[in-house]
Amino acid sequence: MSAVLRKVCVTRQASALSQALAACWAARPLQHPVWAPVNTRHYRSMPTHGIGRWRHLVPKEKTKKKKDKIQMKEILGETDTAYGSLNVTVSGYDMTLVEHYSQYIHNLCHRLAIKVAESYILPTKTTEVMLMQEKGTKMFVDAVLKTHQRVVQLSSLDATACPVLLDVLLQNQPEGVELCVSQHTEAHFQARFKGRPELEGLIAQLTY
Amino acid sequence: MAAPCRRMASVTLLYFRSCFRRTAVGSAGVRQLSTTSVCGVTLQTKSRTEKPPSPWTLMAAVCLQRLPVISADCSPVEQRFRQMLQQMELEKSLVSEHELRLLEDAERLSRKQADDYDSDDEGSHGDQDIVLAQDLEDSWEQKLQTFQPGLRVNADADEDLTSLERCLADPLVLVAEQQVGGDKLWLLPQTQWQEGETLRQTAERALNSLPAAGLKATFLGNAPCGVYKYKLPKAARTESTVGTKVFFFKAILSDSGAPAAPSASLLWAKKSELQRYLKPAYMMKVDRFVLAL
Repeated sequence: MSAVLRKVCVTRQASALSQALAACWAARPLQHPVWAPVNTRHYRSMPTHGIGRWRHLVPKEKTKKKKDKIQMKEILGETDTAYGSLNVTVSGYDMTLVEHYSQYIHNLCHRLAIKVAESYILPTKTTEVMLMQEKGTKMFVDAVLKTHQRVVQLSSLDATACPVLLDVLLQNQPEGVELCVSQHTEAHFQARFKGRPELEGLIAQLTY
Repeated sequence: MAAPCRRMASVTLLYFRSCFRRTAVGSAGVRQLSTTSVCGVTLQTKSRTEKPPSPWTLMAAVCLQRLPVISADCSPVEQRFRQMLQQMELEKSLVSEHELRLLEDAERLSRKQADDYDSDDEGSHGDQDIVLAQDLEDSWEQKLQTFQPGLRVNADADEDLTSLERCLADPLVLVAEQQVGGDKLWLLPQTQWQEGETLRQTAERALNSLPAAGLKATFLGNAPCGVYKYKLPKAARTESTVGTKVFFFKAILSDSGAPAAPSASLLWAKKSELQRYLKPAYMMKVDRFVLAL
């Protein structure tokens, strides 16, 4: 009787133990790296919690709606010691020379810690060289010349850096390339946009 | 020392619209420069409290440069590299329209000369039959023969130190022989600063007062690019004068106009030749801002 009782007791204890163990395992499932799903977070007290997070480090990009008009960057005026916004325009017939020279100017400004606001391309102007025929009055096309233009817009140029920069640019100017330094105005900015004749006509009708 | 610097700080800077055009070697061995000032320089004289005058004599000098007219020749390594790059580009490139036309014309010509030629089989090519691409090439070749490029190196002019046409591939600096305190010295043209003008105006005056006429220059900015301090020997020092300070301004020769009569007191020197003419201490300061790239 005591032996039977003891067996019953043992089995009851064994079952109780196995139940306890099962409960324990259910509460803390073993995370196998292959089997665990990807988007579960690690437990917050683990030292590796949050490992792999990177989106909070990247600055938030403002979503650009298509209706937004392109805003003009602020045109700085001149101060006592610095020039305001300047446009350095490089133009010429040979595109490789013009592009390489404008890239050189841009890199030089980075080197000399001169802030570059923008760097853009103006549309290419095509010129047809017409020659008069030797016998006869008809003109025929002799050559087609394309003038390429690149603009590097500097936001502010220190007065002490100006002669240095200009001297270096002029000494390294390639042949056949024209360099022009001018003040940047709103007219320059507006000239880059295409005109909209229908819109202007409608506005004129409204105001008339 | 304090006076002109403070005045410069209160001067609104000149806005310039300058166009620098680099054309092929023209008759004038000088680059075309044009400047139009958009807003002028306005001087604002502040009211100053009375201060004892500075013991330094202030002078402004102009570093007038003639920029290189042609690009410098490549060194042997550069030449080989350039040849290799050109060959690579040629091998990677596609056939251009003109070359395609040449090939088509040659092929059509060979077909025409074959015995069983039927001109109806040809598509209509219009005036391409009249003017072949080869004819165009021949006419271009003829035009090239008539073109005479200018001389890159003019050995006679190189020797003459007063000529503007010398050393077209290097930048040249104007050096003048001027009377300084009893000695005639070779230095960059300078003159003394006067009350009521900016240092840049002093430098412009120094340039205009040179015997050579017709030297039109564009100043590159209102700020000086270098300074040279000269202390008089102890014997010559007085209460009011300890020495001189010379401020250098950079200017680019725009176009020299009529060729001036060569005067013995003016020279156009390369950076390497400056050492022969300028005093060592002066040369050390000038060396820092004269660029010979």
